[in-house]
Amino acid sequence: MKTLLSIALGVVTAIGGFLDAGTVATAGEAGAKFGLGLVWAILLSTVAIVLLVEMTGRFAAVSKKTYASAIRENFGIKFYLLPLASEVIAESILLTAEIGGMAIAISLITGISWHVLFPVAVLLVFASAWRAPFSWIENGPALLGLVTLSFIAGIVALGGPQRDLLPTLWQPPIQQGGMADYLYLIAATLGATISPYMLYFYSSGAREEGWSTRSLLLNRVTAIVGMGFGCIGSLAIVLLSAMVLRPLNMTANTLGEIGLAMAKAFGPVGAMLFAIALFATCFGAALEVVLAVSYNIAQGFGWEWSEDKKPVEAARFNLVIILFLLVAVLISLLGIDPLQLALFASTVIALFLPISLFPFLVLMNDRQYLGDKINGRLINIAMLCILFIAFVVAIVSLPLEIVSGGG
Amino acid sequence: MLVVALLCTGCQFVQSAFANTAGNAGAALAAASTTLTYAHSGKITDAYAASSFINFQSELDGLDQKLPSTQGAPSGHAIQRLLDLYKTAIRAVDAPCLTASCDWRGQVAALDRASKAFLEASNS
Repeated sequence: MKTLLSIALGVVTAIGGFLDAGTVATAGEAGAKFGLGLVWAILLSTVAIVLLVEMTGRFAAVSKKTYASAIRENFGIKFYLLPLASEVIAESILLTAEIGGMAIAISLITGISWHVLFPVAVLLVFASAWRAPFSWIENGPALLGLVTLSFIAGIVALGGPQRDLLPTLWQPPIQQGGMADYLYLIAATLGATISPYMLYFYSSGAREEGWSTRSLLLNRVTAIVGMGFGCIGSLAIVLLSAMVLRPLNMTANTLGEIGLAMAKAFGPVGAMLFAIALFATCFGAALEVVLAVSYNIAQGFGWEWSEDKKPVEAARFNLVIILFLLVAVLISLLGIDPLQLALFASTVIALFLPISLFPFLVLMNDRQYLGDKINGRLINIAMLCILFIAFVVAIVSLPLEIVSGGG
Repeated sequence: MLVVALLCTGCQFVQSAFANTAGNAGAALAAASTTLTYAHSGKITDAYAASSFINFQSELDGLDQKLPSTQGAPSGHAIQRLLDLYKTAIRAVDAPCLTASCDWRGQVAALDRASKAFLEASNS
């Protein structure tokens, strides 16, 4: 019974925790600009994240090590600094976007400028990361994030997608000169879903909860069912944007615009449901990002770490949390809109994916860590292909997008 | 090599800076118009509308300074027409009429006119 409850909780939190500022931004803009033309990218990235989450949990449960400590142990400190640097650069931008997303969500409810609310959101993340136990951080925002399922009700209430939307699934409406935008959104979609911070957070979580080989079933079901169904939230936003925003010539350049689709379906209640969903998903992701970086650094350098320890017992781990939040505050001073920041962060993440994930694939094929639980050949090939696509699309689209001044 | 080749032919993939800026402005103006209409038809709260307009402001602010010097911008009458429409529309964005006592329909019409013109300019 206890195992069944754990599996149910794991699945539910995976569904609720799937979205974040990056996925909301990419899905909203994808639907508004290209109809259903980027659904394939969401499905591809979902396959990748299902495989990665399953691998991460399997690695932590069997080897009893976290990802960061295993990289340091297997490849040495000099190599470890490479994925660490890429992680810190990409995730600091993403953290700023997540906190900005929280601020915008509160702003949509209160009407107060999100610039004023940004420090409030930072304090909220800090207080939770500082004092809340791991189980609360893992489950609390994710359960609240189940509000995203109301997006499906929104699609039904609007009468379902129009028939003329269907051809955009295989024939994306790309205007002349719009290919750079399309490629940029592919990269952002892949980077938003296949976020390496999940690896550090999930493997650390598995150690925090003392997973063993008996946890492999829970891990597999959570990865496949939870993450598999989690992408429904992204797909629902794509559909809503394509159905409501696109015919009105809106491109979902701001987060509030995406909520107008829910407002059309349910009035002010729908708009509020969107704001709550945005807050919950960004809050959960901000906590995961800030903890993932702190876990990564503490485990890589062999410091004491655990969210369940008092700050004084893991002082340097907690110091990294504070410093990383300060970096986010500094980035926010540039005044860039959180949605644009989330898109940029997601594309940078896609660019860095080979650096972040290739060492992991090496570890997943090492019998010293995994015994007979190493990866099969098919999984390796699938992951390498997805990493290659994400990298090529990101390296092509980023400079084109910067040159054209788009975003 | 593939990446270099793609970047070398990049001009076929990207819009001019003017088309991009005008397209984004047209979309933001359309969003502002829809937001104002939704606010007056009770689909969103005043707080939601006010918060959205803060973002539209930062997106559209200073466009009249930037647009004429943007690469690919048309000259003469065409750009002047866009700037005139922008000036009327930005007044609605800066001070949206969220109560029934002012001319919100006039603001929606101004936003729609400007949005249409900017979107047409970006596609031409």
